Amino acid sequence: MVENIDNKNMELERDPNYWQGFFSIQKDPEFDKAKRNEEKKISDNDNSGLSRRKFLALVGASAALAGVGCADYRDKGEIMPYNKMPEEISLGNPTFYASTCNLCSNSCGILVRTREGRPIKIDGNPEHTVSKGKICARGQASILDLYDPDRLQNPLRKTKEGKFIKTTWDSANKEFFKVLESAQGQIAVITHQINSPTTKKLLDDFKKKYPTTKIYTYELFNDSIRNKAWKKCYGTDFYPIIKWNEAKVIVSLEADFLGNDGNKIENARLFAEGRDVENIKNFSRLYVAEANMSLTGINADYRLKVKPELQYEFVMSLLNELNRRDNLELPISVSNFSLKTFAKNNNIKEDLLKHLINDLITYKGKSIVFAGRSLPEETQIAVNLLNEVLGNNNLYNSSESFISNSELNSLDDFNKLVSEMNSGNIFAVIHFDSNPVYHLPENMGYKNALKKVGTVVTLTESANETSVKSNLVFAINHQLESWGDAKTRTGFYSLQQPVISPLFNTRQKEAVLLNWIKVENENYTEKMYHSYLMDNWKTNIYPSLNSKIEFTRFWYGALNDGVVTTNEKEKAKFSFDKKLLNSLSTSPKKSDGYTVIVKESYVLGDGRQANNGWLQELPNPMIQSVWDNYASISIETAKNLSVKNNDKISIDTGNGKKEYPIFIQPGATNNTITIDSGYGRTTIGKVGEGTGFSISGLMSNQPKFTPWIFTDAKVSKANGTYTIVTDQEAHLFEKTPSENIFAQRGILVEGTVNEYKKYPYFLKEEKGKGNHKSPEIYPEQKELYNGVKWGMAIDLNKCIGCSECIVACNAENNVPIVGKEQMEKDRRMQWLRIDKYYSGSYDEPIVSSQPMLCQQCDDAPCENVCPVAATTHTSDGLNQMVYNRCVGTRYCANNCPYKVRRFNYFDFRDHFKDGYQKEEVFDLVYNPEVSVRSRGVMEKCTFCIQRIMEEKASAIRENRGIIGSNVKTACQESCPTNAIKFGDINAKDSVFAKYRNHKLGYYALEGVNTKPNVTYIAKLRNTHTEES
Amino acid sequence: MSLDYSKDMVQFTKEPKLVELDNLISKPMDTNPSRKYFIALAFTSSLMFLGFLCIGYTFYFGIGAWGNNQTIAWGFGITNFVFWVGIAHAGTLISAILYLLRQRWRNAIARFAEAMTIFAVICAGLFPIIHTGRPWLAGYLIPYPNSMNLWPNFISPLDWDVFAVSTYFTVSLLFWYLGLVPDFAILRDRAKDRIKKLIYTFFSLGWRHSNRHWRDYEKAYMVFAGLATPLVLSVHTVVSFDFAAAILPGWHSTIFPPYFVAGAIFSGFAMVVTALVVMRKVFDMENIITLNHLEKMNKIILLTGSMVGYAYLMEAFISWYSGVPTEQYVAVNRAFGNYAWAYWTTVSCNVFFPQFFWFKKVRRSIPLMFIVVLLVNVGMWFERYVIIVSSLHRDFLPSSWTYFTPSVIDFGILIGSFGLFFTLVLIFTRTMPVIAMSEIKGIVEGAQPSHDGGAH
Repeated sequence: MVENIDNKNMELERDPNYWQGFFSIQKDPEFDKAKRNEEKKISDNDNSGLSRRKFLALVGASAALAGVGCADYRDKGEIMPYNKMPEEISLGNPTFYASTCNLCSNSCGILVRTREGRPIKIDGNPEHTVSKGKICARGQASILDLYDPDRLQNPLRKTKEGKFIKTTWDSANKEFFKVLESAQGQIAVITHQINSPTTKKLLDDFKKKYPTTKIYTYELFNDSIRNKAWKKCYGTDFYPIIKWNEAKVIVSLEADFLGNDGNKIENARLFAEGRDVENIKNFSRLYVAEANMSLTGINADYRLKVKPELQYEFVMSLLNELNRRDNLELPISVSNFSLKTFAKNNNIKEDLLKHLINDLITYKGKSIVFAGRSLPEETQIAVNLLNEVLGNNNLYNSSESFISNSELNSLDDFNKLVSEMNSGNIFAVIHFDSNPVYHLPENMGYKNALKKVGTVVTLTESANETSVKSNLVFAINHQLESWGDAKTRTGFYSLQQPVISPLFNTRQKEAVLLNWIKVENENYTEKMYHSYLMDNWKTNIYPSLNSKIEFTRFWYGALNDGVVTTNEKEKAKFSFDKKLLNSLSTSPKKSDGYTVIVKESYVLGDGRQANNGWLQELPNPMIQSVWDNYASISIETAKNLSVKNNDKISIDTGNGKKEYPIFIQPGATNNTITIDSGYGRTTIGKVGEGTGFSISGLMSNQPKFTPWIFTDAKVSKANGTYTIVTDQEAHLFEKTPSENIFAQRGILVEGTVNEYKKYPYFLKEEKGKGNHKSPEIYPEQKELYNGVKWGMAIDLNKCIGCSECIVACNAENNVPIVGKEQMEKDRRMQWLRIDKYYSGSYDEPIVSSQPMLCQQCDDAPCENVCPVAATTHTSDGLNQMVYNRCVGTRYCANNCPYKVRRFNYFDFRDHFKDGYQKEEVFDLVYNPEVSVRSRGVMEKCTFCIQRIMEEKASAIRENRGIIGSNVKTACQESCPTNAIKFGDINAKDSVFAKYRNHKLGYYALEGVNTKPNVTYIAKLRNTHTEES
Repeated sequence: MSLDYSKDMVQFTKEPKLVELDNLISKPMDTNPSRKYFIALAFTSSLMFLGFLCIGYTFYFGIGAWGNNQTIAWGFGITNFVFWVGIAHAGTLISAILYLLRQRWRNAIARFAEAMTIFAVICAGLFPIIHTGRPWLAGYLIPYPNSMNLWPNFISPLDWDVFAVSTYFTVSLLFWYLGLVPDFAILRDRAKDRIKKLIYTFFSLGWRHSNRHWRDYEKAYMVFAGLATPLVLSVHTVVSFDFAAAILPGWHSTIFPPYFVAGAIFSGFAMVVTALVVMRKVFDMENIITLNHLEKMNKIILLTGSMVGYAYLMEAFISWYSGVPTEQYVAVNRAFGNYAWAYWTTVSCNVFFPQFFWFKKVRRSIPLMFIVVLLVNVGMWFERYVIIVSSLHRDFLPSSWTYFTPSVIDFGILIGSFGLFFTLVLIFTRTMPVIAMSEIKGIVEGAQPSHDGGAH
């Protein structure tokens, strides 16, 4: 029907008589006269904007113009208007939907920005109780997974020859249902941790329907040891949530709570709250004792190098020392542990330990000692004891606790499963969006055991190591195409809703299961799981909420918010069970030999998203490496093994030799080797395959120490090299002549908390002489920016260097993926980078992070050298890029002292992996407000000018002035610690102005006199300095 | 030793007769080229086509085909540009400035030097266009009236380059052609082949060797010489602004204009000597382009080489004296950092080896001077490479420091530019007189009556 109407309209416009008539009327003097009168009338009546008549006249005129102008337009028929205009969409405006991210066990709330029905960006849901509007890099990048051309687009069936062929849902379901019905033994369902109460119920229903079913749950990295230890000490299931913001002293033992241990978004926010220069009195101090440099270690005020197996001795020695200093009435004897001996054996400065002991005593009840999840139970218990005796349980959050819908199975459970599989007792294995072949320890033999199972099915988004060993592969929906809910904490539920209908012939994983449950009495519909979810809420959850609103209204309201808060109140009391302490060993153990630590990758996590180019290209916060993992070792260890960067070493943790390239990490503990997870995928897609090395060969099904730490490993030099590409050259420790290059050049200016307390203006002038400005030799140019002038301030005290902002920027600004070999050639395209600078010594480095983006200089050196004026200044102080005008001389990039300009050396979309980014579906990810740049064009950050324009448009629409705080840049929005502030420099009363004119504010490379509009708030280190 | 500066140098080793001169100089045009010539031409033109292939590859895929990266955004492209612009300086200097200074020894070498200027500018002009990311839009650099009222950015040194180089090319070309007109007339008169005659007739513009023609010609020549003289100094000054006007340590320096001009003359003369040494031998012109000529040019090479050496010292001194740590770092890094090898190649080729020209024996020994001038050519290419790459690779923020590795395509284009240059030179030697016949006749014994009766 609609098509017919369109055709009719077109015919009408093409009718030649129409035009003749129109022109003749125009030329008619009578008509002209009449028209002038008409116009006069219109302008007389015209009080505010458009009158009805003028509007109609304009509509007519523009229709006519459109007819003329578009008659020759070649590109016909591609752009289609909506046939039925959806109610909630207004063209050109984004629509936001609240949902829940399902990629890890934190289940953060997300807000999905959609344009014309297609999701283009994932941000945090501000309503969410825990994540509070922030979301990690992986969550943000999952938008790219939705449009990944390598996703499975149909269910697949394995043929006898072992090939996978496309099949239909019906035949695949029928085939598998026959298997289920035959019920020849056990069914095993392997899944990741379930955060959704409804999915939990679904699995229960599945068990009811097929009683021989057993559910196996795993997470490659989990808190089970810490939780078990906690249960032994305090009797409750979960280690509590910690109030990092209230701590004055934080001691982190092998715990990367800012990086990957626990809910990093929440931890980072709370940690940064405690490091606020505006609240300098309560500035917390962070001690980190760890084996390898971690994100938390980077932010430490004091860092100790301790091997993980020695952490127990460290804690006990602390207890002994504290006991000696300040009688703690310890229930056990710790006299065999001496802090002095420990310090001596591990080369730790005594001063440092003295400070630590003093701090723990001074801030009793306001300090927290936190043991990493990879440490063994014994250490965890010792740490719990330490916190208990220091009265630090104040800092445990007693009103909230974790909740789990599914208990994780132990490695032993999986060992049993494998032996059952081998003995043929299991006739069907269902991989419920899980990839055990890749995740489980190689020596468990899971992969081979699968051969003994009658039918193996895998529900997955993209092919993986497990799906290739399956008989049937069910292609499932992305999380943005799915319904769901989640409950991870007391006090609230969060809801997940689809924001786009499935792009491919896929189904939601829960719906697939549901279909198998209901196969006899119900055919599959798209709404199947949706109604199941609603039913579950209506019957099980809604009544417990005591809501006064009728269910349907409640439901829509809940979907709108994405979060449902409940009245549940936890009132945990922490009573320590002292009996178990007898089991703690009372004398230190020795440790020589190599210790291998496997660690969750900051960028890839457990490797589920390895096919995500944004994540692969997100520099690892330690050494800025991209596209690979590596064995991270200390320089001393490298010397002992006689290897240098990129050389391979072979590691044997007891399951045979595995080879990894090494990279020297300043600050790593000798004889420890740390390797990230998530790499070495053999089956996933074009992007992820062949990046890095798998760790499953290091892991063991019967770990001796902990599942992630392997002591007494055999390590030797191996043949060959493998290039690790870093985003920043690894020359950070050039002794001469770049020593102290950062302070000298005015790149990084740092101070200490005590210094700041004593002389708040220490940055601006010599100590104790009051605040005065150095004379300015250049004339002031105040008159240039009278209206709004955009500026940014980055608080380096809050910036933890986590790099979430980079992904936000990629997604917002359509930044292409360039690939490893282009990164190696130093042709990165990211507009925003986090510079990492190491200072001090290789052994005890001090690390500084500095987000670097276009500084939008008032006197921008790039602007005057561009021969074609393709980069110019706006009246609101932005340094803008005119892509269409850019010829690509790259002179601007040469002249940019911050090197933030990015040149399209290729059409990277075409160049990377044979046009992977040019696949049709990939186009959908682009933000329509930002042009996709062609090759040969320079690009760079413009403070998300599209968002500024949005604010300008609404200011005009609402007839008001532009309000600086209304604009939030993508990086600012994603920053978990709110380190980035953005606003109008000329709005003197705004919150932003406070940061712009901060006592600690400085410009990078101030000496070059580019007058940047990005202010850095100098980092203060909370160390014990002479001033105190 | 007493020197009489009132007297010219000996212009010919064996005084030729006028007719012999004509015969000798137009011999390449009158006879068919030998096999050797074709082999040479095949070689140079294959290099040229290799270069064009690489350029085509770059056009198709983008500048990513080169070694450039985000930190080092200019690499071989601009190095080659500055190198060839530098080469282009000798010709006009010889033909214009030495003409105005009445240096009559220039007459024997001016034509060839000028031709090299033209060809070098052609090679140079190629690079700014191909090094842009979107060469098809390079026209944006030219100011032309348009409906959007968009003009180039007149404060950008790159835009000045466009004007400087195109002006220089135009003036040099016209100047060269002007000098060629009487010679074309001679060739026209000698030509037996009809097509050849037609072509020479066309280009000789109806020249009849009449008194009036000569008078007008001399005047026009003088005017052009006057016009071209400031250009010799301005072009490389403007090219040096590309660097001097930037804020990058290692570029941002007031010494650049004179330093670049000296360097340009230095490299230009070296290139002319390189080519002349071969040319005079091949075409049997050792009596016209004598060792005396070469020695004079070597002296200029010695002078300008020392000036360049002084500039190197000054750069280092100023960076220390400035007290700016970033500047100091760049200077130290240049000499001892990643690109020390390139820097010391530059210094030894440009400053050290030319010092051998203090010895008369070296100045007058063909093999020795050939080695030195070749080294100077290499050194001057590296000088630009060092300026561009080593300054960029260690700029303000250590986070963006990196290293430049040229690609195969980079080398292909560099070689191709030499191919283009020498192909043009080879074609030139067979189609136009490599020595200005009309001018050389002016310095034959007795051609210019003088007060001392022409005796020397």
